[in-house]
Amino acid sequence: MRNALKIAKWEIQKNIKNKTFIIGIIMTPALFLLFSFIGSLVNSSDEENTLVYVNDQVGAYEALKETAKTQHESWKLEKTDVSKEEAAKLAEKHDDAVYLFLDKQSVEQGNIQYYAGADAEDEFAEQSQILSGPLKAVQLKQAGLTDQELAAVAKPIQFEKEQILSKEENDQKADDFLKKFVPGIVGGILFLSILFNGMQIFQSASSEKKEKIAEIILSSITPSQLMQGKIIGYFVLGMIQAFVYLAAAIGIAIWKWDPEVLSYVLVPQTLLFVFIAILGYFLFAALYVGLGATVEDMSSTNNMQGLVMMLPFLAFPFIGPIFSDPEGMVAQVGSYVPFTAPAVLIMRLAVLEVWPWAQIAISLATLAVSIVFLMYAAGKIFRIGIMMYGKNATPKEIIKWLRA
Amino acid sequence: MLETLLSVKGLNKWFKDKHALKDISFDVKRGEIMAILGPNGAGKSTTIRNIMEIIQPDSGEIEFTGHQGIPRDKIGYLPEERGLYKNVRVMDMLLFLADLKNYPLKQARERALAYLEKFGLGGKENMKLEEFSKGMSQKVQFIASILDEPELLILDEPFSGLDPVSQDQFKEEIYSLAQNGTAILVSSHQMNVIEQICSRLFMIQNGQKVIYGTLDDVKTQYANFKCTIRGENLEQAGLENLPLVVRTEYTEGTAILSLGTEAEPAKWLRQLPEQLEIHELSIDRISLHEIFIDIATERNLIREAGEVYA
Repeated sequence: MRNALKIAKWEIQKNIKNKTFIIGIIMTPALFLLFSFIGSLVNSSDEENTLVYVNDQVGAYEALKETAKTQHESWKLEKTDVSKEEAAKLAEKHDDAVYLFLDKQSVEQGNIQYYAGADAEDEFAEQSQILSGPLKAVQLKQAGLTDQELAAVAKPIQFEKEQILSKEENDQKADDFLKKFVPGIVGGILFLSILFNGMQIFQSASSEKKEKIAEIILSSITPSQLMQGKIIGYFVLGMIQAFVYLAAAIGIAIWKWDPEVLSYVLVPQTLLFVFIAILGYFLFAALYVGLGATVEDMSSTNNMQGLVMMLPFLAFPFIGPIFSDPEGMVAQVGSYVPFTAPAVLIMRLAVLEVWPWAQIAISLATLAVSIVFLMYAAGKIFRIGIMMYGKNATPKEIIKWLRA
Repeated sequence: MLETLLSVKGLNKWFKDKHALKDISFDVKRGEIMAILGPNGAGKSTTIRNIMEIIQPDSGEIEFTGHQGIPRDKIGYLPEERGLYKNVRVMDMLLFLADLKNYPLKQARERALAYLEKFGLGGKENMKLEEFSKGMSQKVQFIASILDEPELLILDEPFSGLDPVSQDQFKEEIYSLAQNGTAILVSSHQMNVIEQICSRLFMIQNGQKVIYGTLDDVKTQYANFKCTIRGENLEQAGLENLPLVVRTEYTEGTAILSLGTEAEPAKWLRQLPEQLEIHELSIDRISLHEIFIDIATERNLIREAGEVYA
């Protein structure tokens, strides 16, 4: 074990100093942050761009300004005296401007005219109803309604839904959902992160052959120690990466969404998701380490090797059916197939209200047995494959090694 | 009398139907340089890999004096198929390999710096191996194999691909390690180098022992005299009919006559035909190189000479 840990330490040190890893670990959350920041910048700059000039002859400007301020921040209202002819010309020139004409007649008829620049045109057409409230008030006032009548008319009739569950119960339900969904996301990030690092094992084992160092290393340690060391090393690297990603994701979630998000992460359910993600890692790590020992040249891998590379992604086409029916046939079968089980379980458990413990137990047991079997097979392949220089192993050779 | 450090006894290895090693037995002693020789595919690397437990023999024993099993951290190994990680620094690489041998890192660093200096790589310890030439990388590989002061050093083709200057550096270092008590097992095709440094040799052909003994014994026993004559009409002179000539080769005005073991040069020379037109004549012992070529091409000069292989 000591030798395996030395290999693990070496793989960690080698990769952690590697630019690709550093860039990957820092850049992914940084890019995520940057895009969300740019997104908000773009949104807000868009919003600020619409200038609504109001030629007001009915005294509604202040009410309109107040409405715009509360309901549509991006509109900046200004008073203007321009005529309709001038407005038409100005709107042609200024894409982000709208010229609104309010006179007694137009308000009375409920037909308000405006000129809009090209950029502001669509948005104003969609959102202009916001301004109808204050104008309706002016209209009714012109019709001679008293303030009391005005208040009654102005107040819309609302339909209020009575809750089946009490507010507390409802909050509790939402809370329960988040207590599974958020850990599910944590499990998902962890699984993907350690899985992608696990794929590096393939590269690592393959380069050992390519750079012909395997025999030098195997003069000091056994092949199984080398294999174990690689699996542990890339597991730790995956965990480091996952930790950074999760910290960034939680940080962004607290900032953008809900300051309480951490309380949904630190729940017992998270442990099961982490456990599933780790089991998934070991399953695919065994697959990749064995496969890496059979491949020296990536460009000439055979169909079998290509298929094995794709196995971890087998669950991805079923994301839709699983989320739409987490208790359905696809979801249940997916939980029992070792190569889809980790991803399917994480997806199902994140959205299921009641966890099917019997299914979870069978699925985890299947996964555990498969890991033991695959590790054993990978060990056999690795032992011989890693020493074979100059060519990729054929399926026939791999089967022979497995039988040996 | 040197103490035996490694004993290989009755090693057999099969690859499918091929009997790759047939009852191989030899010893390597402290302070000696023992050569394992043979043509490509003879079984040298397979023997070495069995010693290193990289592959398991089908039968036979390998004993390392004073240890149960093979103490890998006491053995330095430079395999024939060798390389190093390209994208790591030289010092990191050396320390990692020393650490795998459980050698103290502080000491390893000091020794690494000293050896890098010695092999003309001083100040390059922080460079990445991808910046190194093939020869430079080979020096780093050699340093890696001796960094942890091994009791037994196994070098599989250490001189291949080296320029004559580097070859001399390696040769001197190997010699000095042996002088300091390291047991060295070296396989090589460079017979001239082997002849200069090794004290005993084990020659293998088709997985089987052909010759085993000290260099002097082997030479006395197998390296008979040969007479090289340059002259005119040699092929018509009936040289092959001379006494004690076991084989004759003619090439462009030159005849090489291989003599039997009983041949005494002074006496034998008198029997040359008087009419023979000689431009040049020399008489020497067969070199290790020739014995090797002989074995490799299975001409079996030694057998023709009437000797039975050991």
